[in-house]
Amino acid sequence: MKQLTKKWGKSLGIYLALMIIFPFVMPDEYYRSVGIIIGLQAIVAIGLCLVMGLAGQISLGQASFWGIGAYTSAVLTTKFGLTPLVGLVASAIVPAVFAFILGRAIAGLQGYYLAMATLAFGYIVQIGIQEWEPVTGGASGMISIPQVPFFGGSELSMYYLIWGIVTCVLLFSLNLMHSRIGRAFRAIHKSEVAATSMGIDVRKFKLNAFVVSGMFAGISGGLYAHYMGILDPQPFGMHESIKFLTMVVIGGMTSIWGALIGTLVIGFISEGLVMLSEVVPGLQGDVDTIVFGGILVLIVMFMPEGLVPRIRSLYEKAQAKKAAANAEQRVERKAAI
Amino acid sequence: MTTLLTVQDLSRDFGGVRAVNHVDFEVKQGEILALIGPNGAGKSTVLNMVSGVIPPSEGEIRFANQLMTRVPGYEYAKLGITRTFQNLQTFDDMTVLENVMVGMHTKTHSSLFSCGMSLTTARREERTMQERAHTWLEKVGLSSLASSHAGSLPYGKLRLMEIARAMVAEPKLLLLDEPAAGLNHTETAEMSRMFQEIRENGTAILLVEHDMDMIMTIADRIVVLDQGSKIAEGTPREIQENPCVIAAYLGTEEQVESRG
Repeated sequence: MKQLTKKWGKSLGIYLALMIIFPFVMPDEYYRSVGIIIGLQAIVAIGLCLVMGLAGQISLGQASFWGIGAYTSAVLTTKFGLTPLVGLVASAIVPAVFAFILGRAIAGLQGYYLAMATLAFGYIVQIGIQEWEPVTGGASGMISIPQVPFFGGSELSMYYLIWGIVTCVLLFSLNLMHSRIGRAFRAIHKSEVAATSMGIDVRKFKLNAFVVSGMFAGISGGLYAHYMGILDPQPFGMHESIKFLTMVVIGGMTSIWGALIGTLVIGFISEGLVMLSEVVPGLQGDVDTIVFGGILVLIVMFMPEGLVPRIRSLYEKAQAKKAAANAEQRVERKAAI
Repeated sequence: MTTLLTVQDLSRDFGGVRAVNHVDFEVKQGEILALIGPNGAGKSTVLNMVSGVIPPSEGEIRFANQLMTRVPGYEYAKLGITRTFQNLQTFDDMTVLENVMVGMHTKTHSSLFSCGMSLTTARREERTMQERAHTWLEKVGLSSLASSHAGSLPYGKLRLMEIARAMVAEPKLLLLDEPAAGLNHTETAEMSRMFQEIRENGTAILLVEHDMDMIMTIADRIVVLDQGSKIAEGTPREIQENPCVIAAYLGTEEQVESRG
């Protein structure tokens, strides 16, 4: 832990403080539930960031791993009577296995082909959930999924449970990014030839990144199922996958913090749109999709590196300027003497 | 001296074009072998085959008595072959130090899980990597730039960084693809000294280069390629006096006539 605080001291401190005080600044139950959903999305986005930002593998089917995780735990607890804890473990493993199989199958694909393959996988999973009625309840979904027994399961305790897991996922990913494994991912992203010549098994590492991201999405999905108590296939489609993608791109694909910030930005915009739609009657329906699509286009056009890297480079430039100005002053002073 | 690398009857076709045509040569332990020839002679193609980037169309490559043609590309570093690239292949968004640390991939073993959990073993390994990378950055003279982003470095420095990145893996054979391209005289001289030091420490070097000054000072032997075939092999002095080599580089009167 000492190392952690040394490496990301400031950002981590600010993050923890904000995360802990949020439910007290916004004591409304509604905002706590919004906070929970944002936390769940952040887990998926951080996983997607590992596979997309670090290893450079686009995935347009991330919501399907989320869905597989959700339904795994829901089915195991409601149909087989297992405890949510067992369900949650399974909701991490089953999507990881799916990610492994899919990852093996599409190992040779790159760019558009990879995007298309993951997109198709997303559709297959959503349709699969819809059609496998005896198990998943089909389009009408599942009800009375048991809650996670965590300090009574109130909105507040769920908030801390989920953001505790977000914190674990965040730290794990930050550690990973600054280790030999993370550097191998980033090396693959820049040059597969160079990575190979350094002894990195490109296929294996891409697969690893894919499996970890699937696992994170699955954990989040399981928690989502138990938190909501009801499930239907609708949130696990392409729309949600694009939303996850937008979060990662806005925040800055190459930054784990970026995935978290991107999730928050999208969360704020969603909430803003909900509020606005109460005032402006025309803003109902899938307006958020249009807005997110627009943001994605604008980001790609004007800030392709994303928010966090942009702010970081601005900050570094300002620091350099300040240092240069100081040096100049010193020279002037010397000259005056 | 024992033989480290044996290339036998090596050929490579690109579409219908034969880029490398039945080439044989050997690299002995602890020597610098230079591969020279006019543009398009197939030097880089040979280097790419020896480093496992592309498979040969025909022929055999043996390294330390192991047949390399079936070995996947990522195993080469572990077996003791690392390389630099003609058109630099650097990881621009990483720092110089991180770039060099990637070179130690095969020397480290922490798993994804222990890296993510930052277990003691992973942290210890990370420290060792940093120390060794720093040692090599010092040797190539980039210590002061260790924490700069590689993308912000000039060309010449990136070449040095690639050499450090290849050397931290402690290879038995270092492959260099035009390391002196774009460098000035002093930089080239410094680099030559460094290669001699590397050789003295037991790493053999296979070098593709256009800079004749560098080759004549450091190469123990030279192999000359022209249009995919080997036309000469020998010590720098022998090569300088070889009529075939002079003809390949400058052309002969007969050739000019026959083409005209």
